[in-house]
Amino acid sequence: MSSRRRRCKRQLIKFTQHIARLITGTLNSDNEDEEQESTTVRCHPENLEQLQLQTHFSRQELQLLYRGFKNECPSGVVNEDTFKNIYAVFFPLGDSSKYAQFLFNAFDKDKNGSLSFEELVCDLSVLLRGTTEEKLNWAFNLYDINKDGKITKEEMLDILKSIYDLMGKSIHPRLKEEAVRQHVRIFFQKMDINQDGVVTIDEFSDCCQKDENIMLSLKIFDNAV
Amino acid sequence: MAAGVAAWLPFARAAAIGWMPVASTPMPPPPREKRRGQDGLIILNVSGSRFQTWRNTLERYPDTLLGSTERDFFFHEESNEYFFDRDPDIFRHILNFYRTGKLHYPRHECISAYDEELAFFGIIPEIIGDCCYEEYKDRRRENTERIQDDEENENSKDMVPPDMSFRETMWRAFENPHTSTMALVFYYVTGFFIAVSVMANVVETVPCRSEQNRAKEVSCGERYSVAFFCLDTACVMIFTVEYLLRLIAAPSRYKFVKSVMSIIDVVAIMPYYIGLVMSDNEDVSGAFVTLRVFRVFRIFKFSRHSAGLRILGYTLKSCASELGFLLFSLTMAIIIFATVMFYAEKGSTSSKFTSIPAAFWYTIVTMTTLGYGDMVPKTIMGKIFGSICSLSGVLVIALPVPVIVSNFSRIYHQSQRAEKRRAQKASKQAGQALVCKTNPTFETQHHHLLHCLEKTTNHEFVDEQTYETSCMEVSLAKASMSRSSSMSSSPHGLSSCCTRRNKRKSFNVPNSNMVAGRRGSIQELSTIQIRERPVNNSRSSLNAKFEETVPLNSEEQSYITAAVISMPTPPVTTPESGALGNCPDFLQSNIVRVSAL
Repeated sequence: MSSRRRRCKRQLIKFTQHIARLITGTLNSDNEDEEQESTTVRCHPENLEQLQLQTHFSRQELQLLYRGFKNECPSGVVNEDTFKNIYAVFFPLGDSSKYAQFLFNAFDKDKNGSLSFEELVCDLSVLLRGTTEEKLNWAFNLYDINKDGKITKEEMLDILKSIYDLMGKSIHPRLKEEAVRQHVRIFFQKMDINQDGVVTIDEFSDCCQKDENIMLSLKIFDNAV
Repeated sequence: MAAGVAAWLPFARAAAIGWMPVASTPMPPPPREKRRGQDGLIILNVSGSRFQTWRNTLERYPDTLLGSTERDFFFHEESNEYFFDRDPDIFRHILNFYRTGKLHYPRHECISAYDEELAFFGIIPEIIGDCCYEEYKDRRRENTERIQDDEENENSKDMVPPDMSFRETMWRAFENPHTSTMALVFYYVTGFFIAVSVMANVVETVPCRSEQNRAKEVSCGERYSVAFFCLDTACVMIFTVEYLLRLIAAPSRYKFVKSVMSIIDVVAIMPYYIGLVMSDNEDVSGAFVTLRVFRVFRIFKFSRHSAGLRILGYTLKSCASELGFLLFSLTMAIIIFATVMFYAEKGSTSSKFTSIPAAFWYTIVTMTTLGYGDMVPKTIMGKIFGSICSLSGVLVIALPVPVIVSNFSRIYHQSQRAEKRRAQKASKQAGQALVCKTNPTFETQHHHLLHCLEKTTNHEFVDEQTYETSCMEVSLAKASMSRSSSMSSSPHGLSSCCTRRNKRKSFNVPNSNMVAGRRGSIQELSTIQIRERPVNNSRSSLNAKFEETVPLNSEEQSYITAAVISMPTPPVTTPESGALGNCPDFLQSNIVRVSAL
């Protein structure tokens, strides 16, 4: 009973407010918007010595990398959308959003939705200056979408589809649906030693270390910075 | 833009390691980068103000003064800095362009000073960022117009070029009465006669007392008909002579005949001639009298004498849609209220509201708050609706008038701005096409990355046309043939990837830069292919491959000539050695800057 009366009163007050606003001529949108709280995230990395210890980069290289990074992201963190946009610039013909998402998850070790400079530069040092073992570990981590230590056929299919999406539509020969599955099959044939349908990290790194081509190609970006 | 994205390229390339284990074909080798020295600070001393920046920052834009070796001319040995004797305030903006990639135009600076500085430092104004571009273009246009006006004023005061023909002199006299005394005299005489003619038309209809003291009053026109006729004849003769003279003097007679002023002239003098031609027939005299109405159009001839009238006419024309909408809404309101009033007054006796169209008159008079009083509602319902009608009339009529007035200026300026923006966009695109501002190192690395992607997926990028044709054809080519054809198609593909990039975002990449890059790496690829898979490639297909690279070169040549070449670079040592070490030099120094059209 009292709740109903309270509701009536509230509605009456709202109604009179509405009429008053109508008479005085104030627009609805003017005084209804509260101040939007703009939350700015600012994050800065630890000091240079620490990063030098954690990575294989020299001081000058770290300085150069950070300057470029800070120029692009003044707030100090990269979120997923920015990452996707950057990849869209590098691969303009295709749809890079899925691949950028996988990559973002691979870089984002602490799963907080944003990449700080430390995370980026640590992974970069692994990829460019790390041992073969570390590089293969990183690649395995990328393929293992749910991070359970095993690559299943579905995960591989997703990854390969996203890589093929980077190419876009104007490719030769024309991309057939079967081509991606074939690629997955070839991969599993090569990597899945015990044929149990999943690839573990040991199988993966064993097979890769036996493959000359892969070993060679892991080294091509070593002087990228 | 290029600067910012280039910072991410190392990350993207490192992440490409993730493709390696799944790649189906071996990767292309990375491009050899010239070992650049330590990135040092450069001191730029501009008239005493010292600016410092990294060498890499300046070299992002290698075709400007600061980014190229041209700055060495300004190196001052004693103080170990680069000295420029230019304006330091404007230099600040130019240096910011290198840092952020966006050129801004400071509003307080003089436009010609700014243009001079930009020209000195080799920066094309078309790359001014969107935030400042409109302002810049507006100021520039004002400046050029002012200069043009000054020149015209000077010219008109000066002696006319003596070799102007009589016809041109006459036309000039007609258009600018201030050029000579004769023209001025003519201008005033015609103005006077227009006024006289209009006054005569008006006075003609005033009733004069007739001489015979008759009861019926006649108009002055009928009383002094001979005098008025003579006056009319004189005016029409002058107008006819003026029209014929203008027709003779006009540079383009067809355009002159089509113009509004000449139509007004013709309409002004035609009734007289038609009246002369037609006899005093009873049947046609009614029509003849109607034609006299057109004589009032002579007053529009004043618009040649008054610029204000012309502006009003133009604004009315440009606001025609707004006026039309106002009329439409008024018509709707009129119809609604007329219907209501008619049905409300239907019951009352001797009501003037005989039909809905008859009620239109009442509605219009009431809504415009005129209230003649010749039609008034008598029933109570009629009076209620009548009062509602007059109240809403105030709203409907009085409100749009200031809105229309403001719409005049808004639409006028808007249409001008839209035209301006369209013209600016066209010239901006044309200008940007001449700008080459990408780092060649970045280009080669980006292309290497894309090539790695191609190798991972074992598919190549192609042009859209080739994609279409390949869709239509059944690909029954042999493996080697397809491989060799794919080799030749890849440069087109990669060039198309970056050209399509142009359309999506404003990221200008010169075409031949890529093509030159492709040429180098194709040579590399071909050598590697030979080394690794000798069994797959038969000798004939190898020859075919090399042969196909040759027409590639010629194709590229045609590519280059089709586009605009801006800055040729100094000639390069022959790249015929083909060793991998020489290729980067070939890549970077043989770059003819070609616009991505």
